[in-house]
Amino acid sequence: MKKLVSLMLALVMALSMCSFAGASSLEGTYDVTIWVGEKAVDLTLKQVEDFNASNEYGIKINPTVEAVSEADSATQMVTDVEAGADLYCFAQDQFARLVQAGALMQLGAGASEFVKTNNDAGTVAAATSGEAIFAYPLTADNGYFLYYDKSVIPDEDVDSLEKLIADCEAAGKNFSFELNTSAWYLASFFFATGCVSEWQTDDDGKFISVHDTFNSPEGLIAVKGMKKLLDSPIHVSSSAGDDFASGSAAVVTGTWSYDTVSQILGENFGAADLPSFEVDGKEYHLGSYNGCKLMGVKPQTDAVKGAVLNQLAQYLTGEKGQMERFEALGWGPSNLADQASEAVQNNATLAALIAQNAYSIPQGQIHGSWWDLAKVIADDVKAATDDAGLQAALDNYSEKMAALFTMSDAEMNAWTVIGSINGDDWSVDLPMTKGDDGVWKTDEAYAMDAGVEFKVRQGKSWDNNFPADNFVVETAGTYYVTFDEATETVAIVAE
Amino acid sequence: MDSGRFFERGGPMIRYSDLEYLKLSKGKRFGYKIASFFASIPTALKNGLLAIWRFLGTVFRGIGSEIKDLVNTFKEGDLPTRVSYLVMGFGNLCRGQILRGLLFLLFEAVFILYMVTAGGYWLGMLPSLGLQGPTKELDPILDVFVTTYHDNSFKILLYGVLTIFFIIAFIYTWRLNIRQNKLAMQILKSGKKLKSGKDDLRSLVDDQFHKTLLALPLTGIIIFTVLPIVFMILVAFTNYDGTHDGFNNNLFTWVGWQNFNTMLSWQGSGGQSYAATFGEILSWTLIWAFFATFTNYFLGMMVAMLINKRGIRLKKLWRTILVVTIAIPQFISLLYVSKMFAKNGILNGFLLSMGWIQQALPFWEDPTWARITVIVINIWIGIPYLMLITTGILMNIPADLYESSRIDGANAWQQYTKITLPYMLFVTGPYLLTSFTSNMNNFNVIYLLTGGAPTNPAASSAAGTVGYTDLLITWLFKITMGAESQYYLASVVGILVFIVVAVISLVVYGAMPSIKNEEDFQ
Amino acid sequence: MSESKTAASSLKRHMGIQASRRIGNTAAYIVLVLISVIWLIPFVCILLQSFRVESTWQVGYVIPQQWGLDNYRNLMNTDFPKWYLNTLIMALVTAVLQTIIVLCMSYTLSRFRFKGRKFLMRFMLILGMFPGMLTMIILYRVLKDLGMTQANAVPGLILVYIASSGMGYYVSKGFFDTIPKSLDEAARIDGATRFQILKKIILPLSKPIVIYTVLTAFMGPWGDYVFARYVSFGTSAGMNVAVGMYNWLNKDQISSYYTMFCAGGVLVAIPVTALFLWLQKYYVEGVTGGAVKG
Repeated sequence: MKKLVSLMLALVMALSMCSFAGASSLEGTYDVTIWVGEKAVDLTLKQVEDFNASNEYGIKINPTVEAVSEADSATQMVTDVEAGADLYCFAQDQFARLVQAGALMQLGAGASEFVKTNNDAGTVAAATSGEAIFAYPLTADNGYFLYYDKSVIPDEDVDSLEKLIADCEAAGKNFSFELNTSAWYLASFFFATGCVSEWQTDDDGKFISVHDTFNSPEGLIAVKGMKKLLDSPIHVSSSAGDDFASGSAAVVTGTWSYDTVSQILGENFGAADLPSFEVDGKEYHLGSYNGCKLMGVKPQTDAVKGAVLNQLAQYLTGEKGQMERFEALGWGPSNLADQASEAVQNNATLAALIAQNAYSIPQGQIHGSWWDLAKVIADDVKAATDDAGLQAALDNYSEKMAALFTMSDAEMNAWTVIGSINGDDWSVDLPMTKGDDGVWKTDEAYAMDAGVEFKVRQGKSWDNNFPADNFVVETAGTYYVTFDEATETVAIVAE
Repeated sequence: MDSGRFFERGGPMIRYSDLEYLKLSKGKRFGYKIASFFASIPTALKNGLLAIWRFLGTVFRGIGSEIKDLVNTFKEGDLPTRVSYLVMGFGNLCRGQILRGLLFLLFEAVFILYMVTAGGYWLGMLPSLGLQGPTKELDPILDVFVTTYHDNSFKILLYGVLTIFFIIAFIYTWRLNIRQNKLAMQILKSGKKLKSGKDDLRSLVDDQFHKTLLALPLTGIIIFTVLPIVFMILVAFTNYDGTHDGFNNNLFTWVGWQNFNTMLSWQGSGGQSYAATFGEILSWTLIWAFFATFTNYFLGMMVAMLINKRGIRLKKLWRTILVVTIAIPQFISLLYVSKMFAKNGILNGFLLSMGWIQQALPFWEDPTWARITVIVINIWIGIPYLMLITTGILMNIPADLYESSRIDGANAWQQYTKITLPYMLFVTGPYLLTSFTSNMNNFNVIYLLTGGAPTNPAASSAAGTVGYTDLLITWLFKITMGAESQYYLASVVGILVFIVVAVISLVVYGAMPSIKNEEDFQ
Repeated sequence: MSESKTAASSLKRHMGIQASRRIGNTAAYIVLVLISVIWLIPFVCILLQSFRVESTWQVGYVIPQQWGLDNYRNLMNTDFPKWYLNTLIMALVTAVLQTIIVLCMSYTLSRFRFKGRKFLMRFMLILGMFPGMLTMIILYRVLKDLGMTQANAVPGLILVYIASSGMGYYVSKGFFDTIPKSLDEAARIDGATRFQILKKIILPLSKPIVIYTVLTAFMGPWGDYVFARYVSFGTSAGMNVAVGMYNWLNKDQISSYYTMFCAGGVLVAIPVTALFLWLQKYYVEGVTGGAVKG
C-alpha cells in the first residue's frame, strides 16, 4: 500500500514540479500530541486551528496540547521516546541529548533549507549536529541581562559591577545572580575576558571534541571578578524575578521574568545590559549566552505522518507563527523577517537583551555534563582565600573536563587498524578483538586491493604502532588483519 | 580509661565468666561488651559462611533426592501417574479430582501457549539483548526521514526475566503434580478416600487459609517488587544508559563486571573516582541517619513525657497540634519550609529586621549549615511520629516501678535513666533499627529541602553534581536523571546501598540485647 | 523534735513540692506553647499566602495586604480539580484495597505457622533493603505495556501502590501478635473455620489497626511525586495533585502561580487533616500497639 502511494507520488512529481512533492498524499485527519510551555497552550491550540483552515494539503490535525515546560520536556522524552509528544518545544541546551537519545527526527533537505533561510545563524547552529539539522528554531530570546530597582541603583551605576555591589550593600539590598547553581549564568564572567568553551558534535549528536580555555590567565581574571560578587554578603544565587519582592535590588535573569519584575517594581523598573567589572585597572564587560528554544519532531515510522508533522512544525515556527507568539507572549523571534519588523525592533522588553547581544555568544551545542561540571567553579572560587586557591578552582575544573573525554582502560589498550583500507584515507580506526590465543584480529574481513597500506596502533594514538613501516598488501583479496602482541608482528589472513 | 585496653592490646581477648563480669566497674563492663562485640565478628563471619555452605549442600542434596524421587515415582507409578509426567493433572482427572486436574491442565496449556507465542523469543534473545537497533532512511518523495524500529533490549531483558520466573513456576507446579500422584496412590493404597474438589475449596478457607490470604499479596510482590529488583541487579551488568536506551537509539548489551570495576577502582583518571565519591556520600548518609534517628527519638520521647506530665492540661490539644503536621503532604510543607530558610526567605528577613543578625545566615549555602539545617528540620518532621509511638509505650510502663523508686529516693533524672530509658530502648530496639535504615533512604526530606545543595565540587563528576547534603538515594536519583542517564551506574550504586544497609542491619540485629522471641509476646 | 514541728515541716515540704510542681508545669506550658508555634508556623504562613490577592509571587512578608479568594477561584480554572479528583479516587481505592492486602498478609504471618513462613518474612525484609528508586523506571514500562500510563495513570498507580503493599505488614502484624492466641484456639474447638475466626473474632478487636492502615494508605497518594510523574508522563489528565502542582514551581511559572500553589496546598491538606483529626485516637492506638513490636 505504502509502495503504491509512493509510486503514484513519483508519477505526480514527474508530471508537475510543484513546490512540495508529496502534497496531495497528505490529506487526512491526524492525531497529534504537542508539548508546549504552560503559557503557550491556548495560543498553540488556536494556531493549530488556523493551520487546519489554511493549509493547502487538506491536512486536519486533531491536537492534544499538554503543558510541559521547555525545561522538562527533554527529560521526559529521554525517559520514554515512544510515549512522548509528536511535536515538542525544548530549550537548546537539551538538543544534543535529544539527538543522542533518538528523540528528534532529522530534517529532510527541504525542511533544512526552510530552517536555514528563515532563521538567524545562531539559532540554526543550535539546531544543527554535525552536518544535519534536527529541529526548528522557535524563539531567540533565551539570554539574560540585568533588571534593577531604580530607587536603589541610579542609572549611571548600572555599567559597573563594583558600583552595583556598593549600592546594594549601602541600601541593605541583595544582588541576585545565579552563579553557584547554574553554569549558564556563571559563564558570563569567563566570556567577559574572552574565554571560550566550544563543542563539536557529529551527526548522531555525539560530542567529538571541545575547545575550552576557562583554565587560562584570562580565566583567572574572570574568577577574580566573580569573587568580588561572591564574597559580598548581599549576593544571592538566584535568578527569580520575584526576588525583587524579597529584598533584591538587582537580578540577572531573562525576558521571562519581565511580567513579574515590572509589576513588582512599577515605576522603579529598570533593565540594562550586564555591567563591567574591573581587575588590575582593566574593564571587562560581562558576556552571556544567547540561546533559543527549539521545536522538535519525534521520529516517525510512517513517512506520511512524518511529513504532516513537518508541515505543522513549519507553520508553527514560521514567520506568522513566531510573530503571533511574540505578540501574545512577548517571546523574541528567531525568524529573520520577524526580527526585522518594527514591532520587534521597538519592543522595550527586548531592548536590554539586544544591547547585551553585543557581548553575547551563541550557545551552540554543549555537552550535558558540562553544566554540572562548570557550575561548581563558583563554590570553589568562593572558598578560595588567595590567587592560588582561585587557580586550584580552575585546575579542578579542567581536570574534570579532561576526565569527561578520557577513554576507558579497555579502549586505551585496544589495538585498531588504520590505513587506506575501504578507501579510508587513514581516518578510520577499524576495531580488532583479542582472540583466545592472545592474537588480535579484525572483527571483519576487508576487501583490499594490491598496494593498500595500513598500520596497527594502540589506543587510537600513534604512541605504539606496528609495523615500523606501513604494511603493504601485495595481492588483492579479502583479508583479516592480525596482530600478535607478544611478537609484535602484523599479518593478513585470507578469509 | 581502662576500657580502652581491649582495643589497644592485640592477641586474644580476655573472657570473663558471669561472676567476674558482675564484679567489673561500669566502664570496664562497657568496654568488655564492645570488645566482645568486635571479637565476635570473625566468628559471626565464619558462621555465616558455614551457613551458606550448609545451605548450598542442602540445596544440592535436595535436588538429588528430588530427581531420585521422580524416577522412583515413575517406576512404581500406575498409568495415570506416568501420563502425568507429560500431561499435567491427568492422574487427578483419572482419580476423580476434576477441579485439581483441570487447573493443572489449564496451567500447562497456558504455559505451552505462552512459550510458543512469546516466551521462546524473549528467552532466545536474552543472551544477546537484541540484534538490531533502529534504522533510519530518507523517504525520497516525501523528503522525510523514516525510522524503523527493531529489537528492544529493555523489553527483552524484562520479559526474558519474567519468562524465567514463569518457567520456575512451571517446574514447581509440574513437580507438585507428580508428588500429588504419588500421594494419591499412597492414600488409595491405604484404603482412604481422596479429597474432592469441594473439600479442596473448604480447606482454602480453613486449614489452607493462609494460602488464600497470601496468594494475592505475594503475586503482587513478585511482579512489582521482586521482578524489578532482579531487573535492576541485571542492569548493573549491562551498558544501559541515555545513549543505549535499548530501543530508540542503540541497543544495550551485557558488559560483565565492567561497571563494578569503574565504580570501585580507586584510580580515577582525573578528578575524583566514583569510589571516593561513594565513600564521601556514604559517610554523610550514615551521619545523617544516625542524627535523624536519635535526635527524633530522644526529643520525641521528651515531648511525649512533657505532654504526659502530671498536671498538664489540654493533653489532647497539644497532641493534635503536632499530629496535624503528619497529615499535610510533605511536598507542600517541606517546599515551603525550604523557602523559609532561603537566604532571602522570611526567617532571615525576620532575624535581620529584629537586628539579631547583621547578615543573612547561610542555611543552604554553607555545607555545615546546610547539613545541620536538614537535621533540624527533620526533627520538625519526625517528632510527631515519635511522640505518638512513645506516648503509648510510656503509658505501659508499670506505675509501681516509679512509685517504689521514688520511695527509694530517686530523683526524676535517675528515674529516667534507670527506668524509662532502659524500658524504652528494650521495647523500641527493632523500631530504632528500621528507622535508621529508612532514614538512610530518606529521599523526600533531602530532595524537597535542598535537592542535595550546596554542591560539592570535588565529588561532582560527569555522572552528575553531588551536593554536601546528598544521600546515596538522592545521588542515585540524580545519576538516572542526569545528562547521561547512566542507569547502569545507578544500579551499581543501588546494589552497594543494599549491601551497606544489609550489613548494618545484620550487625545491629546481632548486637541487640533484646533480639525478641516473637512467640514471647503472644 | 515536737509533733507540731514535724507537721509543719511536712506541710512545708508539701508546699515545696507543690510550688516546684507549679514552676515545672509553667515551664512545661511555655515549652509546649513554643513547640506548637514552631510546628504551626509553616501551615499558618501557607494559609495566609493563599488568601493574598495583591500579587501572585513570593514576597518578603507574611500577612496579606489585600485578602480574597481569588487564588481559590483561579484554581478552579486550571486542571487542579481534575488532579484533585484523580488523587481522591486513588486515595480512596488504595485505602480500601491496600488495607485488605496488608491485613491478609499480617494476619497470616501472625496467626499461621506454615512451612516457609520464616523464610518469607526474612525474604521481604531483605527486599525492603533495596532502594526502590531504580525500580520505578521498570514499573513504568510494565504499566505502559499494560496500557496504564498517561491518561490511564490512575488505575496504573493504584495497581502499583497496592501490589507491593504486602511488604508493609510489620505494624499490623505487631498488633495482631498482641491479641491472645487462646481466643483462636477456643473458637477452633467450637468448630469455627479460620475464615470465621478472622471475621467474627479478630477483626472486631482490630479496629485501631484497620483504621491506622486505612489512614496511612489514604495519605500515600497525596504526596507521591516521583513515581506519579513517571506514570502520568506529561499528560495532565493522569496527574495527581503533587505532580500537577509541582510543575507550577517551574522557573518560568512560579511567579504567576505561587499563591495558587499555596491555595492548592490548603485544599490538599483539608481532607487528610480532617480525617486525621477524626480518627486520631485509633491511629495512636494502632501505631503504639503495632509499631513497637515490628
